[in-house]
Amino acid sequence: MTHHRDIDAGPPDEYVEAEIQRLLVEDPAVAEQGITVVRRERALVLHGEVESPHRREEILRRVSERFPDVPITSDIGVIRTQAPTEIEQLP
Amino acid sequence: MVIRIAAVGDVHLDEDVVGRFRPALEELPECADVLLLAGDLTRHGTEAEARCVAEEFGGLAVPVVTVLGNHDHQCDQVPQVVKVLEDAGITVLEGNGVVLDCAGGRLGIAGAKGFGGGFAGRCASDFGEPEMKAFVRTTTDSADRLGAALRSLDCDMLVALTHYSPVPDTLVGEPLEIYPFLGSYQLGQAIDSAPTALAVHGHAHAGTERGTTPGGVRVRNVAHPVIKQAYSVFHVGDQLDTDQVSTLGQSGIQRSWS
Repeated sequence: MTHHRDIDAGPPDEYVEAEIQRLLVEDPAVAEQGITVVRRERALVLHGEVESPHRREEILRRVSERFPDVPITSDIGVIRTQAPTEIEQLP
Repeated sequence: MVIRIAAVGDVHLDEDVVGRFRPALEELPECADVLLLAGDLTRHGTEAEARCVAEEFGGLAVPVVTVLGNHDHQCDQVPQVVKVLEDAGITVLEGNGVVLDCAGGRLGIAGAKGFGGGFAGRCASDFGEPEMKAFVRTTTDSADRLGAALRSLDCDMLVALTHYSPVPDTLVGEPLEIYPFLGSYQLGQAIDSAPTALAVHGHAHAGTERGTTPGGVRVRNVAHPVIKQAYSVFHVGDQLDTDQVSTLGQSGIQRSWS
């Protein structure tokens, strides 16, 4: 991951979006490829689902640590693990 | 003849997830003959994470068959990961197959992780820089081994198990720009080279459950974030009779549909 960008106040730009997307995958504490980063006018929104509440918290912690001035909104869920209630027949 | 197949992929086990799947897994013998895992069993592919997979998915009353995913390669500990899984009784496929005797007949499963490259008309080519040629040849080699494994199995029903997708259908929901990193048409071509009844894959967390290959083989994306349950169950073969459906209803499977 590149580390050359100075963090300025102001709306998040494409490079921040790209760096956060890569951080989510390449940071060993996160390693999530299924989180989508959407750039909105006032904040970056993180969408997706993870396997535990701990991972959801860790994502926010790592992104906030690395980009303290970027407003982040999180909409990350924890995937359910109940047994299926339906089957699919494939004749 | 009906063979009951449970499947899930992309469970990304580590210590924080151990135990979450187990209650649902304990119900498996009542509703499935086999559990297929479509890769990305771990977060980083470490031996310690593989032990979490072994704890969660080992010792079940049904056979468990898996392929590895890209996450399972991250820390370059593939031999250690495979050994931990195999020691737990999990069959790990990569360019080979296995035949299981099920109540409904002999189920042949051929598996390979697969790789990216993209789909017909919008795919990478074996041309140019060594890095690009190596990328495409990795895909081609994987698909060739999958096809050979599928054609080699002597069984009543044939299933293909991959991590990467063989079709674009089950990627719908993912950004188009990343399709070449999610699968390749060569895998579909390999699946269509044999009388495959069902192809199961994972990897595409934002994708779609159902698709078909150009040859008409049903494809199911069972990535955990897609199916949003511990596993999906497919009954492949003849239509169920009502007795079977009511038996399943008692074990937690409430309704069948087709």
